[in-house]
Amino acid sequence: MESSNVSFSEIFKMYPVEEGSLIPILQKAQATFGYISVESVEAIAGYLKLTENHVFGVASFYSQFRFTEPARHSVIVCLGTACHVSGGETLLETFQRDLNIKPGECTPDKKFDLNRVACLGCCALSPVVKIDDDIYAKVNIIKLKEMWGKYE
Amino acid sequence: MNITINNWKIQVNEVATVLDIAAQNNIDIPSLCAHPDLIPYGGCRLCIVEIEGRRGYPTACTTMVEEGMIVRTDTQILQEMRRDMIQLILSEHPAACLMCDDVDGCTVFQETIRKVGITTGCRWCPKDKDCELQRIVEQLGIKELTLPGLYRDIPLEKYDPFFDRDYNLCIYCGRCVRICDEYRKSSVLSLRQRGKLTTIGPAFEASHIDADCEFCGACVSVCPTGAMSEKSRKWWGVPEKYEPSVCPLCSLNCDLQVLTLKNKIVGTVPPGKPHESGGELCVKGRFCLSELVNRTDRILEPQYLYPEGYGIVSWDFAIEKAREIIQGIVPKRSAVYISPSLTLEEISSAGIFAGNILQTSELTSSYIDEKLAAYVNLAKESIALEEVKEAGIIVSIFLNGNYNFAPLTMAIKSAAASGTPYYQIGWINDTASRFARYKVVPFPGKEEKYLNQIISFLENGQSKIQEIRELASALKNTKRGVILVGPQIMSLSNCTGLLDKVHQIVKLTKSKLFMPDQFGNLNGLLSLLKMKPVEEVNRKIKEGKIDLLYLIGDAPVNGRPDVKHLIYQNAFPAPSELNPDVILPTSLWGETGGSYLNSNGTIKKVNPVAVSHGYARSHIEVFSGLAKALKTEDVGFSDEVLTNYISDQMKIKKHILNVIPPAKSKAFSTGSEFPYVLIQEKNPHVYSNLNLGQGIAAFGDLIKPGHVMLNPNDAKILEVKDGDPVKLRSPVKESKFHVVARKNIPRGYIYLITSNSKLEFESNPCYINIMKDHV
Repeated sequence: MESSNVSFSEIFKMYPVEEGSLIPILQKAQATFGYISVESVEAIAGYLKLTENHVFGVASFYSQFRFTEPARHSVIVCLGTACHVSGGETLLETFQRDLNIKPGECTPDKKFDLNRVACLGCCALSPVVKIDDDIYAKVNIIKLKEMWGKYE
Repeated sequence: MNITINNWKIQVNEVATVLDIAAQNNIDIPSLCAHPDLIPYGGCRLCIVEIEGRRGYPTACTTMVEEGMIVRTDTQILQEMRRDMIQLILSEHPAACLMCDDVDGCTVFQETIRKVGITTGCRWCPKDKDCELQRIVEQLGIKELTLPGLYRDIPLEKYDPFFDRDYNLCIYCGRCVRICDEYRKSSVLSLRQRGKLTTIGPAFEASHIDADCEFCGACVSVCPTGAMSEKSRKWWGVPEKYEPSVCPLCSLNCDLQVLTLKNKIVGTVPPGKPHESGGELCVKGRFCLSELVNRTDRILEPQYLYPEGYGIVSWDFAIEKAREIIQGIVPKRSAVYISPSLTLEEISSAGIFAGNILQTSELTSSYIDEKLAAYVNLAKESIALEEVKEAGIIVSIFLNGNYNFAPLTMAIKSAAASGTPYYQIGWINDTASRFARYKVVPFPGKEEKYLNQIISFLENGQSKIQEIRELASALKNTKRGVILVGPQIMSLSNCTGLLDKVHQIVKLTKSKLFMPDQFGNLNGLLSLLKMKPVEEVNRKIKEGKIDLLYLIGDAPVNGRPDVKHLIYQNAFPAPSELNPDVILPTSLWGETGGSYLNSNGTIKKVNPVAVSHGYARSHIEVFSGLAKALKTEDVGFSDEVLTNYISDQMKIKKHILNVIPPAKSKAFSTGSEFPYVLIQEKNPHVYSNLNLGQGIAAFGDLIKPGHVMLNPNDAKILEVKDGDPVKLRSPVKESKFHVVARKNIPRGYIYLITSNSKLEFESNPCYINIMKDHV
């Protein structure tokens, strides 16, 4: 709580109190803390003299802002045309079943969060799964199980 | 400017939109999102028109009129496009009410020769027959749905007080979001997410109470569909009449409209057309009034206290018993309590009755104590509310505008939003807090010292504290400074001292003063009658100088005082342990006409709009009945007598109340043993002896009388949840309460609205220890 307050005062220093500062501050907050928390919304609303409801309304309009804490590792399954044809959907289902979460959610132990993406731009390697910054090519279910053993 | 709409030549002399000009000339352009108080939005697209020389179909609500414009509003192609848009809206809006086979015969009564009636006029939607979407569908002659329907399956929201929300019926016109933000400046509702995931509500699915909603009902008023509906009249249907009236629940006496159905009051809304009346009222005027008059515990028949207990009796019998009591009383040995919620006429009749029949001058009200006296004596200098809107600088002192004084808080917010400096002195955050330049939080127990520092800066121009220098010099150097004082100041221990200091600041800075109070007609009561502080009358009762206590819409707080006889004349039941000898039921606001004197000094008239409940009679009828029984017919209570009485008394300047010097307040003890600051507020929301916080459950959910409110973070530290029992301990006293976590309470503070008009702890503010009570 205390430390996040300190960083907020640093963020706020860079922006004047006006409605136009809202989105830059939200972006900075997300970059600093990884997501927009209830406390962030409260602090931003207090600084810009807006209501929390207004801040949340603006933030939730843009898909770039997330409101849940990111997990330690982010799993992204590609469902672009090529990946879809070569079994991306099955991979996503496997993740969903094994991690017991839906896309956009995070496991209770904060280890993985799961997201889908329309195309990662490497269709020749399909189906593709991205975990953190590693791209896994031509993934199948057996490979999957090996893959996530590496992550803690 | 000359323009042509549908071949009509129209002269326009103002800057206006095509939609406005069309409406002024009775040309109907269908629209679902436009609203006269709001900035044009162009969301529903229904008001599209054809304008010669313009490409496409501009929306009439966002297009300004220009010289020589030729507009067409109802060509075939426009109507066809509108029908398509409505079809899109209807694909997500349950439409049983529009597409039913029996829709034509729905409202008319259907006679059958069968023994069982047939089902007609079923009501699937709370806005049935009062729905703008329904009206437009009818206008456009849509008879069938061309698109498959999608039910959004959004859960109903019904856990907040006063209104339910069913966003499955929402058409995303945005009126509620816009009126909350633009007009009320509360910004509680926002459009969350986007596309088909869009929902309406506060941040993070918070409840409306937690999102600082004031429950002004503006969103409910402007909703064109049944998405928002008042709980208390959800299935009543369309009101028959909208009658102009005036609210009796505080000294601002706002104008409002009473909705009636079959001579019953079903609701109240601000002035204006249905669906267009905005959010000028506070929660009390918007939602509480109709619940008040329709309370099921109202006294309906006269009652008499037999030795065995109360029995319902006839009016003749009750008047006879009251006559016997009154005839046995020596002049000057009776006292009268009069409610500050009565109308001027009722107060005058009470005055005539007390003066000429009871022959006593012991008039009081249970609320008139030394603090109220000091408050109203200063409040005489109050300016009109309109002047607050034109202030150059605004400073509010202990004004809690939540659920209160809506026109005043709106004036503050819109002035501050347009650049007027606004400073707030007080502990608790309210709806206007975020508009303040800064919020001044005086050290609890040292409020007087704080005001003193402002005074000494004004006198000799020196202060060590930066914020005092800024505030005081701004107040001194700005023209049209306005100082607002809230009645919440009356709950503080050193109220009289603080008011003195406020008066000095007002004089030194040549500012204006505005001081509202929580009573519908306290101004009228004090203008018409010479009232005594309640302590003075109670002292006489204790000394045994009073034999009869006559209570008119009011009652003493501590049970039955030591008097021989007690007559109780009210619409709401007597508090327990009062045990009056005779109970006379009376009518309430809306059932009898009358007038109120508001804080601007204007008299506002109310017409009767409904019939009295049960056998209740108006106060004036009761007094004339008694006068007749006592054979003192020379004492009249006719309209003429009362009008003359009012105008005679009004000529005299407002009576100055005696201020009894208060007992010295005890010293505050600080220290780590008592780490929290308790701010108490005497429950101020009363009407004719009914405590709104207790009498109206939904209002009680808002102000939570008798509960301690604290910051959610403090609640987390203390490991308590809403409703948990806690123990509060001051150096002198210990007491148990239940907790409520509220965001508007700053950390380290505990806020307690008492459930009656007494304070719970020895001083206010009071340093206190709080701990979880393990049962």
